[in-house]
Amino acid sequence: MIRHAGAIRAGLMMVICFMVGSSWMDGIASRAAAASPQETIAGAARKVVKIHGAGGVRGLEAYQTGLLVSPAGHVVTVMSTVLDADELSCVLDDGRRYRATMVGVDPRRELAVLSIEAEDLPAFTLAAGDPVPVGTRIFALSNLFGVAVGDERVSAQHGVVSALVPLEARRGSYEVPYRGDVYILDCTTNNPGSPGGAVIDWRGRLVGMLGKELRASGSGIWLNYAIPTAALNEGYAEIISGTASPAAPAGATASPGFDPAVLGLVLVPDLLDRTPPFIETVVADSPAARAGLRPDDLVIAVGGRSVASRAALQRALAALAAGDAVQLSVVRSGTIVECDLGPRPAAGRKR
Amino acid sequence: MTAMTQQRIWLWPWFVLGAVASASMAVAEELPFAEEAAIRAAVDRVAASVVRIETAGVSEAALASSAEVAPASGPSTGVVVEEGGWILATSFAVPQDAREAIVMLPSAAGSQRRVARVVGRDLSRGLVLLRIDESPPPVTEWVPRAELAVGQWTIAVGRAWDGAVPSVAVGILSATNRSWGRSVQTDASISPANYGGPLIDIRGRAIGILAPLPADTAGMNLGTELYDSGIGFAVPFEDMLRVLPRLKNGETLSPGVLGIGYSARDPFTGEARIATCRPGSPAAKAGLRAGDLIVAAEGRPVTRIAELRHVLAPRYAGDTVRLSVERAAGQAKSEQAKSEQAAPPSRIDVQVTLVKALPPWRRPILGIVPVRSAAREPRPGPVKVAWVWAGSPAAKAGIAAGDQIEAVVPPLAEGDTTGAGDAIPVDSASTLAGIVAGTDVGKTLGLVVDRDGKRQTLSIESVAMPTDLPGDLLEQIPPFAAAPAAGVAPAGDAVTVERLQAAEVAQPPLAVLPSVGSKEPLGVIVFLDVPRGPIDDAQAAEWKAAAARHGVAVILPGSVDPQRWGREDIGGIKRALATLATKRAIDPARIAVVGRGAGGAFAWLVAESLGPAVRGVALIDSALPRQATVEPAEPGRSRWVLFGAAADDAAADVSPRVEADRRRLDEAGSPAGTLPMGQGGRVPAATLAAWVEALGLL
Repeated sequence: MIRHAGAIRAGLMMVICFMVGSSWMDGIASRAAAASPQETIAGAARKVVKIHGAGGVRGLEAYQTGLLVSPAGHVVTVMSTVLDADELSCVLDDGRRYRATMVGVDPRRELAVLSIEAEDLPAFTLAAGDPVPVGTRIFALSNLFGVAVGDERVSAQHGVVSALVPLEARRGSYEVPYRGDVYILDCTTNNPGSPGGAVIDWRGRLVGMLGKELRASGSGIWLNYAIPTAALNEGYAEIISGTASPAAPAGATASPGFDPAVLGLVLVPDLLDRTPPFIETVVADSPAARAGLRPDDLVIAVGGRSVASRAALQRALAALAAGDAVQLSVVRSGTIVECDLGPRPAAGRKR
Repeated sequence: MTAMTQQRIWLWPWFVLGAVASASMAVAEELPFAEEAAIRAAVDRVAASVVRIETAGVSEAALASSAEVAPASGPSTGVVVEEGGWILATSFAVPQDAREAIVMLPSAAGSQRRVARVVGRDLSRGLVLLRIDESPPPVTEWVPRAELAVGQWTIAVGRAWDGAVPSVAVGILSATNRSWGRSVQTDASISPANYGGPLIDIRGRAIGILAPLPADTAGMNLGTELYDSGIGFAVPFEDMLRVLPRLKNGETLSPGVLGIGYSARDPFTGEARIATCRPGSPAAKAGLRAGDLIVAAEGRPVTRIAELRHVLAPRYAGDTVRLSVERAAGQAKSEQAKSEQAAPPSRIDVQVTLVKALPPWRRPILGIVPVRSAAREPRPGPVKVAWVWAGSPAAKAGIAAGDQIEAVVPPLAEGDTTGAGDAIPVDSASTLAGIVAGTDVGKTLGLVVDRDGKRQTLSIESVAMPTDLPGDLLEQIPPFAAAPAAGVAPAGDAVTVERLQAAEVAQPPLAVLPSVGSKEPLGVIVFLDVPRGPIDDAQAAEWKAAAARHGVAVILPGSVDPQRWGREDIGGIKRALATLATKRAIDPARIAVVGRGAGGAFAWLVAESLGPAVRGVALIDSALPRQATVEPAEPGRSRWVLFGAAADDAAADVSPRVEADRRRLDEAGSPAGTLPMGQGGRVPAATLAAWVEALGLL
C-alpha cells in the first residue's frame, strides 16, 4: 500500500516537474517574444490611421498615413500638400472616420500633428532612445496607393534597416530640410500614400515613420527612408509645446557663376568634357598658393565631400556660401594632401 | 543514498522534457529574431573588409558613358580580398580612364581617405583590382560555388554611406548561374550603393562581389538599369580568387574570343554549326572551318549554341578550350564519292586558345550574285548563279549565269593540319556566303561548279568588296522575273500600291509591291524622306518602275510628328516589315534602309534598331547621326553604306561631317561608297533598286 502511494506520489511529482519545467521556459520565452509576427502587425496596425485631405489635382495624391501617438487622438504624420485642406479626416483601423484638426507643424523635420476628437485610442509611445541597429527586421505599415478603404487595415510590408545615415549624405541631390539621421530601409516603401506610415520591429516597437516620397533629380533613384522615433518624439514635443522653429534653416545659396580663379586656382582647360579636375596653375600670393596647392594636383574633395569630376568641383565650390571655409583634398604623387584656403570670397568673377 | 534523493534524480528528465516541449513552441516564435541576430552577426564578420570607394579624377564624358541611369559620381563600395591592401571594386566606380580611386577605410575615428592605384582590370566581369598602402583585414571565408543553393539567405553589404556600420540589404539567392556562367543572382536590393560590396551568406561567408553585370551582352554598363528591381548579380568569389594572382600581376583580363559565326540565328534552338570562321582567328588557327558542327566543349556535349556559350563566356583571352567538331566527309575530293553512300562525318578534337580581339576584317567577294532565296524557304542544294559582277574575279575565272556551285575548296589555313583542302559541300546561299566571308582577301578558293551537267573546279582569288556602284550596273542586272525590259514603261498592273495595315499603327506606311512573279522573294527598301507627317499615295509614283524592274518592295513610312522622325516611328517600321513578310516572300540578304535629309540620320538609327537584318544603308544629303555607333565589320553583320549628295546647299552643309563619317566607317572595316544621284538631285530610284539586287553579291 505504501509502495502504491509512493507510485502515485512519484507520478504526481513527474507531472508537477513537467509543468514547472514548461512554465519556467514559458516565462523566459514570454519575456522575449510576446506575440507572433501576425499578432505584432495586428497590434500595431490599430495605431495607424488613413489620412484624407487635399490633392487630387495635378496628379498629387489626396491621402497619406499617420500614427496615433496619444490615447486622446494626437496623430503624427508627414508635412505635405495633402494637409493643405479645409477638411482633413482620419480613418481608424476599425473604420471610424473623424474630422481632424491641425495642431501644428515642425518644418525642420517636416512633421505635422493632427488631432481627432476621440478617447481611449490605441497609441504608439513616442520616447527618446537609441536607434535600432542596422540589420533589424522591420514591418512597414501604411496606406500605400490608398488601397486600404474604410475599415480595411493598412498594408504591411517587410524588410530590414539597411543603414542609419544623415539624409544629406545620400548620393545625388535630395532637397530636404531635415538634416538628422534617417533609417534607409531595404523595403520598397517609397509609394504614394506611404508617408506617415509606421515602421516597427518584429516585437511591435515603433522604429520610425516613413518619410515623404523622395527621388534624386539626377539619377531617378527612389529613396526608401524613415525618420527615427527619437526625432519624432522631439518634433512632437516641440509642436505640442509650440516651440517648433517656424522656418527651415536657410541652405547655402548656390552661385553658379563662381569662378575658382578668385581663389587663385586655374584648372586645366576642359575641352569636350574630357578633363578631370587637375590644377593647371596656381596664382602667386593667392589663397590657393598660401594653402600650398601646386600645379598638377588632382582635386578629389571639397570640405571632405568627394568630387569626382571638374563639374562636380565647380558645383561644390558654388554651393559654399561666401565666408565658408574652403578645404580642398588633393592627390599629389599618390598621397592625399589637405589644403585650407580660408574663407570663400564673395561670389563673382575676378576682374 | 536515500530514496528521496533517488526520486529527485529520476524526476529531472521530466522537468527537462517539460522545458523542451515549451521551448520548441517558443522556437517557432523566436526564429525571426534568431535570423535577425544571424544577419547582423554575418555582417559584423565582413564589416571591416568593406570599404567605400569614391570616384576621383574622371571626366564628365567618362561619367556620362559609364552610367545612363545612375551617375557614377556618387560613392560606391569595394571589398578587401587579400592582406596587403588588395581591394576589388567595380568599373562602375572606377571608370576605364581612371588610374586611381579613393578608398575610405572604416575606422572608429571616422573614415580615412586613401589613394588607391588601379592594378588590374577584369573587363569580362567589370571588376577592378585596387591597392592601397595599408592592410585592412580581408574577407577570409567564402562559399565554394558548388555549395550554393537557390533559396538560401543572401545579404548584400555596402559602404557607400559614411555610416558607422555598412548598409545591409537582405534577400535570397535567385539563381546560381547567370550572365552565361559569370554571375549568381539575388533578389536583395542591389544598386550603385553596394556595387563592389560582398554578397554574403547567413554565416558571413562571401558568396560573390556585387556588380552591375549584364545578363547577356559583353558591354559592362548595361546592368545598371536593373538596380533595385529585385534582380542583382554577383561575381562568384571563388572565380575572382582564381584570377586574383593575374590581376595582382597587373594584367587586364578580357573576354575570350573564338572567332566563329553560326549558321543558326537562335542560340537556344540552333545547333552550333560554323557558318564563318574568321581568318586569323583562334578557331581558324586550330583548323576549324565553315560547315563544321561543334558537338562538344570541354568534354561536355553541345547540341545547341547556348550550351557552347555557357562554356565560352566565362573564359578569358588566353584561356584554352577543348572543342570537338563533326565534319562531313569530303565527298568532292573524289568523283566517285557522290555516287557512293555518304561517308560518316569525321570527328575532330582541337584545343583552342582564345584571344582578346580578332584581326580586322574586310569583306571579301568573288563577284557572284546567287539567285534570290526567301527567309522562310531557303533553296536547298547547290547555289545557282543569277549574274556575275562585271570585271570581278568570278567573271575572270569564267563563272557564268546559270552555273550551279556545289562545293568550295577552302584555302589552306595557317597551321591547319586537320585536312583542309577537302571540299565543303554548299547546300545553300548562306553556306556559300559564310565560306566566302571567312576567306582572307587575296586568298584563292576552288569552286566546284556544275555547268550543263559537267563538273569542273575553278580557282578564284577573292578581292575586297567594292564600295562604289559601277556606272553600268543597270545593264549588268538581268530583269526581275517577268519584269518589263529596261526602258519600257511598266504596265499599270506591274506594281500594286497599298497600305501596310498593322495593329496599333495609326498611319500605316505606303508600300509599292511588284505584282509579277509574286512567288519570287523580294528585296526591300525602306525609304525615309524629309519628315512631313502622313505619306500620300502620290509619293509612290517615282518608285513604281524601279520596284517592278528589280523586284523590290518599297516601304514609304510617314512620320507621326510632321516635324521630325521619332522613336515611335521605328516601332511602326518594324511592324510594317513584319506585315510585309506575311504577305510576300522576302530575301533576307536584300533589305536596305534609305534616307534623305533628316530621314538620312534616322535611316541609320532604324538600321541600328533592326540589327544585322539590314544589309545596306544609303544616306542622301545626310551624315550619320551624331550619336551613331559604328561597330567593326564582321561576317554576317557587314553593311554596304552609300552616301549620296545633291549638288545644293543642304549637301554642302553636311559634307564635312560625311567626310568624317567615311573615315570612321573605313576604320571600322566597312568603307562607304558613293550613290550616283538622279538628275536635279532627285532620288535615284532605279539605281537604289538595282543596288538592292546587288546586295546579294558574294
